[in-house]
Amino acid sequence: MHEKKINMKDVIKNVGKVIYRGLKRAFIVMKPSLVAIGLGLLIGLMIMIIFDAGDAFPALGTLLIGGFNGGLRGIGNTLYQAAPIILTGLAVAFAFRTGLFNIGASGQMMMGAYVAIHIGVRYSLPGTLHWIVAFLAGMLAGAIWGLIPGLLKALSNVNEVVSSIMMNYIAGNLLIILIMRYVFNSSYSRSLNILRTAELPLLTSVFPGSTANIGIFIAIIVVVIAHIILHKTTLGFGLRASGFSMPGSKYAGMNTKANIITAMTLSGSFAGMAGAIAFLVVGKNIGTAFEIFPQGFDGISVALLGLGEPIGALFAGLFLANIRMGAFYMQRYSFVPQIIDMIIAVIVYVTAISSALQIVFKRYREQIKSWSKRIFKKKEGQ
Amino acid sequence: MAYKVEMRHITKIFGTLYANDDVTLQVKQGEIHALLGENGAGKSTLMSVLFGLYHPEQGDILIDGQPVVIKNPNDANRLGIGMVHQHFKLVDTFTVLDNIILGVEDTKNGIIQYDQAIKKLEHLIQTYKLHVDLKAYIKDITVGQQQRVEILKMLYRDADILIFDEPTAVLTPQEIHELMNIMRGFAKEGKTILLITHKLNEIKAVADICTVLRRGKKIGTVSVKDTSIETLAEMMVGREVSFSVDKPEINQGETIFKVEHLNVSGQGRHSVKDVSFEVHRGEILGIAGIDGNGQTELIHALTGLKPILSGQVSLMGSDITHLPIRKKYEIGMSHIPEDRQKHGVVMDFDLQSNLILQNYYQPQFQKHSFLKFDIIQDHANELINRFDIRSERGAKTIVRQMSGGNQQKAILGREISRNHELLIAVQPTRGLDVGAIEYIHSQLIAERNQQKAVLLISLELEEIMNLSDRILVMYEGEIVGELDPKKTTVNELGLYMSGAKRGDVHA
Amino acid sequence: MDILYLLIQNAYPTMTVLLIVALGGLLTERSGVTNIALEGIMIFGAFLGVWAIHGLEIYPFTVMTIIVMILVSLVWVISIALLIHFGLSKLGLKEFSLKRLNFKNPENKGYIAINIIFVIIFTGLIVLSFFVFGIPKQLILIMGIMIGGMVGALYAMIHAYASIHMKADQVISATALNLFAPAFAIFTARFIQRGQQIPFSSSFMIQKVPLLGDIPVIGDLFFSRVFISFYIALALLVILWIIVYKSKFGLRLRACGENPHAADSLGINIYKLRFKAVVLSGLFAGMGGVIFVISTSTEFNVTVAGFGFLAIAVLIFGNWRPRGILMAAIFFGFTKTLASSYTALPVLYDLGFQREYYELIPYIATLIILAFFSKNSQAPKALGQIYDQGKR
Repeated sequence: MHEKKINMKDVIKNVGKVIYRGLKRAFIVMKPSLVAIGLGLLIGLMIMIIFDAGDAFPALGTLLIGGFNGGLRGIGNTLYQAAPIILTGLAVAFAFRTGLFNIGASGQMMMGAYVAIHIGVRYSLPGTLHWIVAFLAGMLAGAIWGLIPGLLKALSNVNEVVSSIMMNYIAGNLLIILIMRYVFNSSYSRSLNILRTAELPLLTSVFPGSTANIGIFIAIIVVVIAHIILHKTTLGFGLRASGFSMPGSKYAGMNTKANIITAMTLSGSFAGMAGAIAFLVVGKNIGTAFEIFPQGFDGISVALLGLGEPIGALFAGLFLANIRMGAFYMQRYSFVPQIIDMIIAVIVYVTAISSALQIVFKRYREQIKSWSKRIFKKKEGQ
Repeated sequence: MAYKVEMRHITKIFGTLYANDDVTLQVKQGEIHALLGENGAGKSTLMSVLFGLYHPEQGDILIDGQPVVIKNPNDANRLGIGMVHQHFKLVDTFTVLDNIILGVEDTKNGIIQYDQAIKKLEHLIQTYKLHVDLKAYIKDITVGQQQRVEILKMLYRDADILIFDEPTAVLTPQEIHELMNIMRGFAKEGKTILLITHKLNEIKAVADICTVLRRGKKIGTVSVKDTSIETLAEMMVGREVSFSVDKPEINQGETIFKVEHLNVSGQGRHSVKDVSFEVHRGEILGIAGIDGNGQTELIHALTGLKPILSGQVSLMGSDITHLPIRKKYEIGMSHIPEDRQKHGVVMDFDLQSNLILQNYYQPQFQKHSFLKFDIIQDHANELINRFDIRSERGAKTIVRQMSGGNQQKAILGREISRNHELLIAVQPTRGLDVGAIEYIHSQLIAERNQQKAVLLISLELEEIMNLSDRILVMYEGEIVGELDPKKTTVNELGLYMSGAKRGDVHA
Repeated sequence: MDILYLLIQNAYPTMTVLLIVALGGLLTERSGVTNIALEGIMIFGAFLGVWAIHGLEIYPFTVMTIIVMILVSLVWVISIALLIHFGLSKLGLKEFSLKRLNFKNPENKGYIAINIIFVIIFTGLIVLSFFVFGIPKQLILIMGIMIGGMVGALYAMIHAYASIHMKADQVISATALNLFAPAFAIFTARFIQRGQQIPFSSSFMIQKVPLLGDIPVIGDLFFSRVFISFYIALALLVILWIIVYKSKFGLRLRACGENPHAADSLGINIYKLRFKAVVLSGLFAGMGGVIFVISTSTEFNVTVAGFGFLAIAVLIFGNWRPRGILMAAIFFGFTKTLASSYTALPVLYDLGFQREYYELIPYIATLIILAFFSKNSQAPKALGQIYDQGKR
């Protein structure tokens, strides 16, 4: 029998080629986001220089290093912060792909957080079961909160932006009512601590001193599942068709009403998971002053930076959490952490005009090319 | 004598496409000058340059012998150039009056003053017999009246160079006749008319001179009187064109599609009132009618895009009246939609996905909900070969980047290759060049020859006459006549289409 | 009965803010541009407007405050100058025709120069009088509102430029503005004064309008315990109605929103028109932001409680019409006030529901009403679509 010799060199070369090609394609796809991030950071740097030139560069450095500034503890906290916004980003991105704007991710997250806490405080279940049930309940709560705007849109053509905004405010007030009724910690005006058993397994062994938990792993798994659903299944096919062309998908026989409802419900469930992950930590409580969680709006930035793709939301979420952590550490430089929100705003803005910008850049590149040609021609002439 | 309008060496480029390639056009005053060419030949583009909507990369324009620069429609208006567009540019929610004065409003301190405008318009209406109610809303008036509004827009701005872009597409034969009289009247008064069209017999009827464009280039300018239709057609297409369609006599089978007393809601004449007809195997049933007489609503109701108020629809013996769209496809209906970009495809999907748009959920294309991409691609490649669908990257091309003709071939291929017994084709050759039109016509005949039932809705009377075995005419939502294409004439059809004649219908 | 009057009077601030901001939203959406950046623009306008008010209340005046005074006085003087010219030319005195102020005509140089000198003199006089006589309270408020409006208009230009000229997704660029405004406010405030709150003197509320406030019933309803912004809002409502439905600008605006291709083919510059509409909406939103802060609290604290989004709901609820917007604003005004004032009504107080239940009412009611009325939506047809001249 002839035995085919496996030439290791060839294998490595092929693997290398695939990776290289993949990276190259990823780079081309990600270019708009990278340009946006670059410009955002540049403008942030300029603002910092205006206000305090000396500290500007070291501060920018701290910003970019982000969570790593605080060593393992910083990294751990970064991962803890990242997981919820990865999931809200996924929620917004998923809805985007179906042609809907889910501005209600905050409300869905809030309902998920409350229900998770509720189960974590008021029920006693054996160890692992407790947090799993609490987590799933939170996911379900978010799903319901997303279902309602979805139904309103599908059945009554109610603009989902307006209905989602209403749902955010309803959630905000409902939370106060429910907390004060069922899980009230009156001495501190907030929700009670959850039982130990309801807590998501922590990763303090790997990241001592931080609140890192397995939430980040859950987020990664969910992102992958979402990606598979969207791109590999019949359900995803239908959702994307509806997102690109509602009339076209209707003509093709797809049940567009069902698609809208499904998309918003799934989207809500992702955001609900975000709430559960963020608050199934002993010592994390929701206050009774009215608020709408900001993570929902971060989700919009994450979805945009991630170019509307689940995998994109993963990386964008990690990036955002990292520079947020960087902003926290940057405080030792007398810069207010809000600088990072301004940078993010600029990044989002640049992403919005990215296609037009690319045209502008192309024109500049061609100008520069023709200039340099003229210069070189002159040199040769001499 | 100087020309009234002279466009010299006009070149207009869109991306890499030369829409106009060094085209020179010379028009005398008082002339009715036709611009002939297929879809995409560049006629509309050239006129848009004249009207200031596009700026040419090269070339210049002279009016009355003087070189001019036309940067926008305002400049064109000032030079006396007016344009009636193919797709009307009217605001539906405004009145006729507001649509006409938009852009040239008389104002006092910013507030619009209507008196002068009304006076002038009433004079114009009387003079040119363009009767229309100034206070009516555009969405409530007929298409013929809307066109009159577009003409009044030009006259209100004192245009004496009038451009008409495919004006007859939406008119009955009688209205076309009236329009031609109006155009001759304009010409007698010394106005200059530019007529964009691809309809040879209309050129013959009303034009003095004809310039032929093909693929962006000017082929020639001829006197209409001295040139035959065949020659014009050959100039337009570049080869000999056969005007007859090969349609053998075949035996028709049983009725497989039955519509009984159908009522569909719609605005006024758009609704469908008590419509009944049958389609047999091996038959092409054509429905003729002016756009906006209920055909769109009829098809939307039959295919499931619109709800049915009352009546019954059955296919292959089963009642499909209220079935969901997917079920209708499964029972054996195929549908080439009127608006191919809106309904027929998902423009931002790739070709292979579009080719399985209706049956992606079926077991051959998925397993446990996971799509089988290699089979999907094979299926696409098979259709690409069979139906000559051309695209840059084959099955993976994004449909938005394909030409209109190839998009339509893709839709046609998908609808024909799927299991079906009835094919509903609405405006299947709209906007396509002659080659594609011939191909699609031959495919429709082939369907009929293979004992499928074909329901054809079209605004092109020639297409209806050539392809149909039987013709029904629709007017204001009702079937008002049933005619035999071998025995009837375009004029007779026109009478039915405009409601002037009604007949017995035992469809 | 007094309680009823009290409730109505308490509802006015909310109603006023929503009305003004929604009217601004009407302008952009009718031109075809969505603008969910109203929240961010309100915050931006509120920040600088309240800061201006804060500055105007403190002696001695700082440099920033003096700049504010000059800016505002310039606007007043120039407006009055234009009005005088307009009025006099209408009365037949052709020397004062507005055409003489046309910059492009070189003959007018002398006349324009004289006018500029007068403008400078009067502006200076006004600013001087502020120093000598101080500033009446309501005038401070008006100046603050003007600053808020101007700043809002400038901020909105960023959104306008992106979504109109750079063809960006309107929702995304609007989100960027919403994110930037509060961050900028906190950042700047903390840097300059160590804290993010900007306080101002207690109340601009007019307890009773002289004479008119004494009329029975009507006096209590419309002329007691009101803010001047209430009257501003009503005036704007009437002005806007005239502009949108009777003026050339309004006709063209609506055409852009319904069928931009038609408007373009008639020579109307879509880009310029939409840009103006968005900038105007920024003006209104900026004013609304200042009005929100001064009529609902005693300091600026980087929030407008979601009124920018509620204004959009009011706009959609009002079916994109001025009359509908007024109705919707009134509805919201009342239901929102119920939450803060229910304790004054013994009937409701006895029910024992906590405040948050009442807070829920406007939002739930909106959902229900939208569910029933959205089928007949009369949104402008081209709303939200990017206008590209290449597409025919």
